[in-house]
Amino acid sequence: MANVELHGTHAPAASLRWRELWLKEDWWAIWLGLGIVLVAFLFFANGSSIRWIAVTPAKWSSFSQLEAHFAANYVRYVAQFASWLAVFTVALTALGHKPSEFVPSFIVLYALSIIIFALGQWDQANSYNLEPPLVALVLGLLLSNIIGLPRWLDAGFRVEFYIKTGIVLLGATLPFTLIIWAGPIAIVQASIVSVITFLVIYGVAVRLGIDRRLAATLGAGGAVCGVSAAIAISGAVGGKKEDAPIAITVVIIWAIAMIFVLPFVAQWLHLPAGIGGAWIGTSEFADAAGFAAAQTYGTIAGSGAVAGTGDQAVFAYTLIKVVGRDVWIGIWAFVLAIIATTQWERTETGRKPEAAEIWWRFPKFVFGFLAASLIITAVTASYSLADFNKTAVPALVGPIKDLRTWAFIFCFLSIGLTTRFRELAGAGQKPFIAFSAGAVVNVIIGFILSAFVFAAHWESLAR
Amino acid sequence: MSNHETPRQCRACAHFRNDAKYLEIAFKGLTSLSSAYGSARSDDGICLRHDRFISARSSCTDFVPATSQLRA
Repeated sequence: MANVELHGTHAPAASLRWRELWLKEDWWAIWLGLGIVLVAFLFFANGSSIRWIAVTPAKWSSFSQLEAHFAANYVRYVAQFASWLAVFTVALTALGHKPSEFVPSFIVLYALSIIIFALGQWDQANSYNLEPPLVALVLGLLLSNIIGLPRWLDAGFRVEFYIKTGIVLLGATLPFTLIIWAGPIAIVQASIVSVITFLVIYGVAVRLGIDRRLAATLGAGGAVCGVSAAIAISGAVGGKKEDAPIAITVVIIWAIAMIFVLPFVAQWLHLPAGIGGAWIGTSEFADAAGFAAAQTYGTIAGSGAVAGTGDQAVFAYTLIKVVGRDVWIGIWAFVLAIIATTQWERTETGRKPEAAEIWWRFPKFVFGFLAASLIITAVTASYSLADFNKTAVPALVGPIKDLRTWAFIFCFLSIGLTTRFRELAGAGQKPFIAFSAGAVVNVIIGFILSAFVFAAHWESLAR
Repeated sequence: MSNHETPRQCRACAHFRNDAKYLEIAFKGLTSLSSAYGSARSDDGICLRHDRFISARSSCTDFVPATSQLRA
């Protein structure tokens, strides 16, 4: 039982309607992400660039080089930190968080992020498998589980907010034409895997005697988009209060394990970057965890250990996970709500599912992702490839990509910093078995589709 | 049962809690890979009377106006 205030008065929960535009993280990810893209474009259109503020640690091989870099650029880092702090504080205050808690927490997060980023730029990092997402995750897990951090510090460790903002920025680096070309295949592949995975988890769960609503919650967590899907489906079908925490625990365990397993198995199998990214897209459960794995594989590809480029891994992952899986959560919720209210044991909810549920639950940040892609594709449409690489990449797309990398590192650190294994709800054997059955099937089918059926498609992505 | 916003929906009930901060405390681990501030959750919340996680648009015969005092 959660230790929360159970008594006292509270105001009725008003319907969100237009207030959603500043009360939901998805919309703030859009405002911030598109805001950055538009500012970047305005600078670029006037012959300048946001490169100055999109500073990142340079490649280094000795401490003296690293020291020289920071000495020469510390003003840029201070300016960048202040900018992130300002925009995030505005957003998170609007969402209801306390600035007095967020500000010191973000100072900690940024300081750790600089360390992680700099470590990733060490020219020997790949040799020791010091991939930034993995280092960030491990460091965060050690700090939160071994050393322990005060609870109020969580105010700045907003995993979902950072990944959504990062995904919007990612849209700016992904040509819209690629989304149109590769999107349908991503949807087909992801849908095949999602439906089969859901049916396996649900079927095994029900066979083990698990309540259908919990079975559906587990199924959505494994098939659609992890914890967010579990929450959405649990609410849509009117699950018991303890169902969501059970699904959360199972998803977290699997998702974090997969962050480490998938990239290294993909490397061992010598999967080209695009194929590896697509496989991670169907195999991972949560966006944040999946990006950690995909970015890791992108770095492995970038080092030359496997064929392909880092961008191929991340783009393939994004198409499968965001376009192929995330966007359908509303439909899953609507369909399962209908099934729950018409076929399963009746509850006291007295509610008829509405098609509007598809919109209410739609992950709105995807609009930002698509808009960012459309904007950059449109403003660079007249460039030849040579001019695009010579002009737009260093002055427009490159800085946005670097800011995206910062947002992702904030996210990966936050995953570890907020995952306290001791506090997770007990999942029980049966839910874990049911979920695991689906996860195994998921990985196998995803591999077959990525590495064989659609291999040529993913291998040639963005080449 | 009508689904349009009516005064007797769970959102107006004293047993119902759907503020995001409350849910992130109640659902341990939620913030590790998700959040209660996302669109996917819509306006779902916890019914403390029936121990369910349900839509704010739901309703039942145990409705109590939210301005009433409740004790655990």
